Amino acid sequence: MSKILGIDLGTTNSCMAVMEGGKFKVIPNAEGMNTTPSIVVPDKNIVGVSAKRQQVVNPKNTIFSVKRLMGRRFSDPSVQMAIKHVPYVIKEGKNGMAVVDVEGVEYTPQEISAKILQKLKTDAESFLGASIRDVVITVPAYFDDSQRSATKEAGQIAGLNVLRIINEPTAASLAYGLDKNKNEQIAVYDLGGGTFDISILEIGDGVFEVKSTNGDTFLGGDDFDLKIIDFLTSEFKKEQGVDLIGDKQAMQRLKDASEKAKIELSSTQDTEISIPFITADQSGPKHLTIKLSRSKLEQIEEDLIQKTIEPCKKAVSDAKIKFSDIDEVVLVGGMTRMPKVVEVVKSLFGKEPHKGVNPDEVVAVGAAIQGGVLSGEVKDILLLDVTPLTLGIETLGGVATPIIKRNTTIPTSSSQVFSTAADNQTSVEVHVVQGEREMASDNKSLGRFILDGIPPAPRGVPQVEVSFDMDANGILNVSAKDKATNKSQSIAIQGGTGLSKEEVERMVNEAEKYSQEDKKKKELVEARNQAENMCYTAEKTIKDAGDKITEDLKKPVEDKVKNLRDILATASLDELKTKAQELSTELQKIGQELYKQQGANKAGTSKEEPKDKDKKNPEEPVEGEVVEDK
Amino acid sequence: MEKKIEKLEKEIVELKNKILEAENKWKRALADYQNLEKRTQEQKAEFAEFANCGIMLDFLGVLDCLESAASHIKNEGLDLSVKKFKEVLESNGVSEIKAEGEVFNADSMEAVDAQKGEEGKVLKVNKKGYILNNRVLRPAQVVVGRKE
Repeated sequence: MSKILGIDLGTTNSCMAVMEGGKFKVIPNAEGMNTTPSIVVPDKNIVGVSAKRQQVVNPKNTIFSVKRLMGRRFSDPSVQMAIKHVPYVIKEGKNGMAVVDVEGVEYTPQEISAKILQKLKTDAESFLGASIRDVVITVPAYFDDSQRSATKEAGQIAGLNVLRIINEPTAASLAYGLDKNKNEQIAVYDLGGGTFDISILEIGDGVFEVKSTNGDTFLGGDDFDLKIIDFLTSEFKKEQGVDLIGDKQAMQRLKDASEKAKIELSSTQDTEISIPFITADQSGPKHLTIKLSRSKLEQIEEDLIQKTIEPCKKAVSDAKIKFSDIDEVVLVGGMTRMPKVVEVVKSLFGKEPHKGVNPDEVVAVGAAIQGGVLSGEVKDILLLDVTPLTLGIETLGGVATPIIKRNTTIPTSSSQVFSTAADNQTSVEVHVVQGEREMASDNKSLGRFILDGIPPAPRGVPQVEVSFDMDANGILNVSAKDKATNKSQSIAIQGGTGLSKEEVERMVNEAEKYSQEDKKKKELVEARNQAENMCYTAEKTIKDAGDKITEDLKKPVEDKVKNLRDILATASLDELKTKAQELSTELQKIGQELYKQQGANKAGTSKEEPKDKDKKNPEEPVEGEVVEDK
Repeated sequence: MEKKIEKLEKEIVELKNKILEAENKWKRALADYQNLEKRTQEQKAEFAEFANCGIMLDFLGVLDCLESAASHIKNEGLDLSVKKFKEVLESNGVSEIKAEGEVFNADSMEAVDAQKGEEGKVLKVNKKGYILNNRVLRPAQVVVGRKE
């Protein structure tokens, strides 16, 4: 069956998304952008960013913000208001409805919107490689029946089967999964490119009811940009005495720079706007360099942000509730990326709003989720869980070695081969731990078991395969198998993911908090393991070499080994490293000696020294880590 | 007895439906996965080709500045530097969009102004546009002619 496309048919920009594998996916258009300008040149069939680019040359035939006209009569005050804001011709069409006139041809707002929908459909089809017929389209909560049916007609003209028209704030709430909550009041604050909407919804039994709406149909991101441009031109005039207004080229560069600065200041505190050679006078070329801080930007935009407060108050009082009754606040629209906007909303409603990374995509995402519900994909799909925390085992020195990393989608399985830490070790203990900390003792212990009956062998030789398997219900099965004897042991751990949200958050936060400390601890343990390993190798080399080497070569190595072993438990990281290095240097002398003897015995064979002492023999276990023997 | 058979038959139908449903869902999930894999491959290839977009765009901003400097300050060293910079960009697949005197094309150009002149022709390029491997990296900002 084909996919249901969720479409946010916006005033300034449109966006689309689809459900795939139980997850939503925002679909980029043919130009590679996630949003498409809702701009159309109907007589030439140009839609989107290309239409936007030729707007200046062809203002009369470039139709934008047609959503303001959807399903409205020509006499409607909002249509009369729109006429003042657009360079194209709006006139009275059939049945007194508002239509646009392009080169003497009348187009209904439905037909214009259909062209946008058609582009989205085509782009989605080429992206997904499948045909699209069924769609869910969003409309503002205040749209009346006539406007809703006009939107539906637009879909039909575009050859689409509009399964449902849903409210934008409802879609946004769906995107945040708020439909699962019971009997709540939700406020959706939507500050987009050209309009501001506030909606108060009530949810009960998965059904959203619009309690009230309010807003400002001519307030959006573009106004914020204009404010910055105004500020920059007046600053420049103050500093350089040159008025840039009227210099179209300079203004264009200012516009680009303002938008960039606005975006930058959402993540940084300061930015410098620099436009070299912006203009010139008798004294020569002039450059614009103005520092803009986030607080200055907030000051500039203050009155625009304040303009959104009154509608919020009205909407809340129209819903016959108090601000304190609101349970959830949702932010929508690109302008809500601005930290100041978030702050104002937060203090107004007295709670932390829901905000995603891409507030301009949430409405389309919600539409896609609604589409998924309609197709049965969302409602019944087995929602695959993820492991909230890393699962692993304790290895030599108390280090937690991860086997299944956090956020892995389950069911999943993973295995790793370990070995023994001591010669003739016949059993290993597998200690299963959960958490993000580097040391096993800082993590949560889930269980432990012992695998015995490993044939005696030098350390590092036995191969013990430890496998983790987590099924869809979150039950973790851990098994350890000695590859030589095929002897195995296992345990099942119930509810490996059954931690409360708070517990998971606490554990993740702690891991972040202690990450530096933990890393140091782990480094120390690793250095200790390495040093110990070096001692072992040294002793083994001396033993194997027997009387091939002289006492004066043997002695310093033995001393160094003893030295190192004495401080093993107490030494600092640097100390361990230095001592281990010293031992390594002494040990190499023995190596050289042995090779020399070997060379003398079989003259002509390889004189090459081993390049890497630590290089593993291919038959040895792949992992250098060792299961701790307790 | 009959009742029991009836009950069991009903159960069989239910189970059959469940199996069918489960099978459908499984197939759909598998298909989604396979499609995703294909698309990931395509996107990987595309990513390799266009991974530099962001940094190239930043570099273009610097090139703009250097070029406007070079047009104001006549200096051989500066001219050479600009030339060198352009060569590096070109060897990385970035090429300039020919715009001046051409017919305006909204796919690769952005009209920032319209002035009296030959209708639909690009009169002036305010900001050069560039293409990276056949994709518009940055449209040229141009002034387009109109009749009156």
